[in-house]
Amino acid sequence: MSTPTETETPSETETEGGTRLSYETRDRLYHLALYGSAALFSAVILFPIYWMVQNAFTDSQTVITEFSWLPSPETVTLDNFSVLAAGAVPRYVINTIVVTAGTIVVVVGVSLVAGYGMARFRFRYKESFAQFLLLGYMFSPIVLGLPLYLIWSEIGLLNAQIGLVIALSSISMPFAVWLMWKYIQTIPESMEESAWIAGASRWRTFWDVVVPQTKPAIVACALFAFAIAWNDFTFAQILLPSQESTTFAPGIMRLIDQGGYTSWGDIMAVSLLMTVPPLLFAYFLQEYLLKGFEVRTR
Amino acid sequence: MTVHIDNMTRVFDSPNADRIVAVDELSLTIEDGEFLTLVGPSGCGKTTTLRCVAGLDTPTAGTIRVDDRDVTELPPQQRDVALLFQDIALYPHMSVRKNMEYGLKIAGVPEDERREHVAEAAALLQIGDQLDKMPASLSGGQQQRVALGRSLVRDPSVFLFDEPMSDLDAKLKRELRPVVQRITDEIGCPVLYVTHDQEEAMTMSDRIAIMDDGELQQAGSPKEVYSEPINDFVGEFIGQPAMEFFDAHVESANGTAAVSMGDHTVSLPATADELEGYVDSPVRVGVRPQQIGIGDPAEGIEAEHVLDEPLGDETHSIFETEFGDVTVVTHADFDGDGDTEYGLVLDESATQLFDPDSGVRIH
Repeated sequence: MSTPTETETPSETETEGGTRLSYETRDRLYHLALYGSAALFSAVILFPIYWMVQNAFTDSQTVITEFSWLPSPETVTLDNFSVLAAGAVPRYVINTIVVTAGTIVVVVGVSLVAGYGMARFRFRYKESFAQFLLLGYMFSPIVLGLPLYLIWSEIGLLNAQIGLVIALSSISMPFAVWLMWKYIQTIPESMEESAWIAGASRWRTFWDVVVPQTKPAIVACALFAFAIAWNDFTFAQILLPSQESTTFAPGIMRLIDQGGYTSWGDIMAVSLLMTVPPLLFAYFLQEYLLKGFEVRTR
Repeated sequence: MTVHIDNMTRVFDSPNADRIVAVDELSLTIEDGEFLTLVGPSGCGKTTTLRCVAGLDTPTAGTIRVDDRDVTELPPQQRDVALLFQDIALYPHMSVRKNMEYGLKIAGVPEDERREHVAEAAALLQIGDQLDKMPASLSGGQQQRVALGRSLVRDPSVFLFDEPMSDLDAKLKRELRPVVQRITDEIGCPVLYVTHDQEEAMTMSDRIAIMDDGELQQAGSPKEVYSEPINDFVGEFIGQPAMEFFDAHVESANGTAAVSMGDHTVSLPATADELEGYVDSPVRVGVRPQQIGIGDPAEGIEAEHVLDEPLGDETHSIFETEFGDVTVVTHADFDGDGDTEYGLVLDESATQLFDPDSGVRIH
């Protein structure tokens, strides 16, 4: 973005540093590289989403038999979405919602209490405890999932949504607790002390003074738990084996495997439906999250 | 209500550091309606004392009583105290009104009564038009007024202040000081005010208690601690600019005492009795900068002018002497000259003598 005053004549640059390109050329190259890489990156990321949307709205026969980059008006249809009301799909969707909601509630609740405890109480080996929490991230879900299967089937949590909620909460928890711990540390203790002196109990103070101020952290934890639970495949596949109790991700896998015929149109329709909530969730809460952090910086 | 602090000690133990005696056998009584200021340098134990009175900290030994009630082990919720924090500590997510009525809400006071109390307090503090704003949109001074109001509506039996004005600028401080005094008068309970600012202590207090290194040095009215400091620490801490000290030697004492300070000798109106045991011994002479005059080198302590700090109504002039740098309060018109030889003349009737080892004032 060169203005007339910034423009340098080639002769000037020559005297300055020999082979240096002129400002204008460097500027143009920089922008070319910038927008070029951005475009490439977007294409890689966005194309699968575009393909999913296109297929979801295309006649299911056409999806299999023909190929076209752009949707053609004759084949656009909403028929694929009828799958949402058919068979086990509604069950999957409801199960996913139940498990996700449960996970968010558990993660936010536990991380608030645990984060407060870690921020405000001194106890032995607190730092080690915090580091130990992070150890959970060293294992892949499949490594944790198989022992969990054995334990859950022993205590009767297999095929129970609460079982999956516990498993998903436990893998979301380390991050959420750390976030909440660090966030509560930024709230001045004198605010709580002031409430105690005014006569409020520790618990009441926690509710009235601490929790309302952690809203941005609550949103962040909820968002994180949402992403973990909504998109989980491994744990759901292992811990909810039955058709009635399982969630969308393993469910869609079963749709693909069903018989010899794969209805890509149906699958893309279900996929699209399940992609929309995270997008909305992330978009609106991200706005809120930023707003929350702005308030804190006063 | 009267607050009694008896032999209170607070020791902090930490595994990897030394034991810290923050407060050492402090005894202090705050009478009903009395404004007592606890003043001292940072780390002297004044805030720890206040936190023990508030119930946010518990003494290692000793007792705290309010009237006849032993509150030493009571949690803060049961002490009926109000505390104004240095960082103000308003709840950022509540409006000014909600902030002010929070204590009453906890106490279960019905809403219309709460509104009445808040309106009264807000009128007194001149923040009636701010009630529906959020704390973040108020200035520092207004926020401190809200915090005052929050305490005022609760009508506490003890009012505590923990350096509430440290973060405010000098002009705001001056504006708020009378407000604080009006409010505390209104409530009429014992007030314990902690500060490191001797000016605040002098201007607001009925009585000042000076602490150093966990120990109470002296407690008395502002005039008393200013004119009759018990030791050199109090002498230096109270008064602006700080008292100047000179190492000296008592030559003789009979009616007047001859005290030599380097090459210069002053005769002080002190009897032999008063200086018993100090004749022919070293002492420290303390003089306030206001009581030092400027004269010829022959008249006083030889001094070389370093710089002037004009304040408009007076000037603080700094001189270099054989005793180190000495600040002198000079006339507003005084304009020091680095080439001229000056003599610092001490007002003999205003000098004070201190024991060089214990620091205790002997005259």
